[in-house]
Amino acid sequence: MTAALSGQSSWTDRRGRELVWGLAPALAVLAALTVVPAIYLVVTSLTPLNLAVPNSEWDFSQPLGNYVGMFEDPRFVHSLGVQVKLSVASVLLQLLIGLGVALLLHQNTTVRQLARSWVLVPMVLPPIVVGITWLALFTVDISPIHRFLAWIGLPVGPLLTNPATALWAIVLAGTWQHFPFAMLMALAALQMVPEGPVEAARIDGASRWQVFWHVRLPFIMPTLVVAGLFILIDSVKAFPLIFIMTDGGPGDVTEVTNFYVYRQAFTFSLWGYGSAIAVLIMAGVFVLSYVIDRITTRNDGQWS
Amino acid sequence: MGTAWQRRFPHWRGDIATVLLVLLVLFPFFYLIQMSFRPKEDIFGGSITFVPTLEHYEALWQGNFPFSFVNSVITAGSATLFAMVIGVPAAYALSRASFRGARRIGLWILVTRMAPPIAFTIPLFIAYRFLGLHDSRTGLVIVYLTFSLALVIWMMKPFFDAVPRQLEEAAAIDGCGTWMTFLTITLPLTAPGLAATAVICFIQSWNDFFFALILTRTQASTAPVAIVGFIQYVGWEWGRMAAAGTLVMMPVVLFSILVRRYLVRGLAAGSIKG
Repeated sequence: MTAALSGQSSWTDRRGRELVWGLAPALAVLAALTVVPAIYLVVTSLTPLNLAVPNSEWDFSQPLGNYVGMFEDPRFVHSLGVQVKLSVASVLLQLLIGLGVALLLHQNTTVRQLARSWVLVPMVLPPIVVGITWLALFTVDISPIHRFLAWIGLPVGPLLTNPATALWAIVLAGTWQHFPFAMLMALAALQMVPEGPVEAARIDGASRWQVFWHVRLPFIMPTLVVAGLFILIDSVKAFPLIFIMTDGGPGDVTEVTNFYVYRQAFTFSLWGYGSAIAVLIMAGVFVLSYVIDRITTRNDGQWS
Repeated sequence: MGTAWQRRFPHWRGDIATVLLVLLVLFPFFYLIQMSFRPKEDIFGGSITFVPTLEHYEALWQGNFPFSFVNSVITAGSATLFAMVIGVPAAYALSRASFRGARRIGLWILVTRMAPPIAFTIPLFIAYRFLGLHDSRTGLVIVYLTFSLALVIWMMKPFFDAVPRQLEEAAAIDGCGTWMTFLTITLPLTAPGLAATAVICFIQSWNDFFFALILTRTQASTAPVAIVGFIQYVGWEWGRMAAAGTLVMMPVVLFSILVRRYLVRGLAAGSIKG
């Protein structure tokens, strides 16, 4: 009996050691590709690195100079404001539209089961293709949308070159591309709402709206929160649509923080300064990922 | 007659709303495709009907676009291959062993999936200048591993979790080593998962724009970057841009249809725990 047990545990040990060999290469590659660059990024952020200025690479005389400097940089502070607008609008719009579509497609009819696959198309498209498509749709000369609006007597001028509307045009294109994600999450959660409470509420004479508001919505709320956090992280990484549709303009009205880092590093060669802002973005994404991990672990089993 | 129709589609109001919604959602998608077949003189025309032409595709064929397209195939394909070879055993190990740090590794992988590309691009751009990897397909494949490896591990682990351990224990009693058991018993059982993971991995690398924009110039530029070149260097050739866009998105759309059952898990990027 004892021998059998120790035999069992030595098998487990040996198996454990062998399994490590499967994990090691992946962890080594991930470490080399993510941890090493991350450390280098932090180190660079403490220097005024500019490839045009010799010896700026190891100049640690003012290690926090970049971090102090960014809050005195009006263009950086402005980019934070643009980021907040883009993120808040993206999260709210995508959640609302995603939830609305999920409620429609939740019902099990043949048409709607087919539709569940079709509405996913925007989400898988290459961002660059989404960018040129909406660039065309926002170009007054060729866009059928503009033509239609003019035809019904509501002509709309070019949205992307108008500082008042450029950011919202980008939010619209981004929402088209990403709303299926919120829809998928909401749909998965809706299908897990137990029928019992829904039936009970109906028997008590609750209207459809009351059933949604008091029974379904509280149940799917944790999923919507997680979906919102994911959309938030994605909105912080916004780049291709802005690059193609407005290039940060007109002026700097669509220059989000991520785009500003790109400008600082790859247009102005201010690597140290760009790295410092990138470190801040990284930290923000890390905190959000941690929150997501906490929530999903606490509610484990609620989504499959 | 009305009642028969109503019996067949009891929720017809919602069904009609659904059809309208799908048409609305897919409108930009079809708009781009039709633009790629519209004759040059008619690009600005509002007519719904036109005589389709392949002139834009022919123009693409004669330019540098095929070269970039091949670059895209090679880099996305190689990144997928390497990510699978390294990532699949790792996913299996995470699924089977109870490492103390397994949860922490999971969080690390989630962060890697979520991290902004710019954070990797600055250090790698500088490193590539010294290593001579700038504007090379090898350099691009290495960068793609940052997200595809994490994706493979994240996607494959639930597939391995679903394979009963008893099957492996039986093989182990017969004297099969851990990795021999994995290759002969477990891996074949997860074939659909492997296919889906590879396809989604390919799509993610194929769709990349940011890394290719910064880390390539001419030699290794991929198809998405080539499209931007049309805007910057050729001028507003809408027809050609639409044709290139259609060619770039077609493989993605076709692949997605193949793996639509698994798409959710891959694209939700770990938000939906397996």
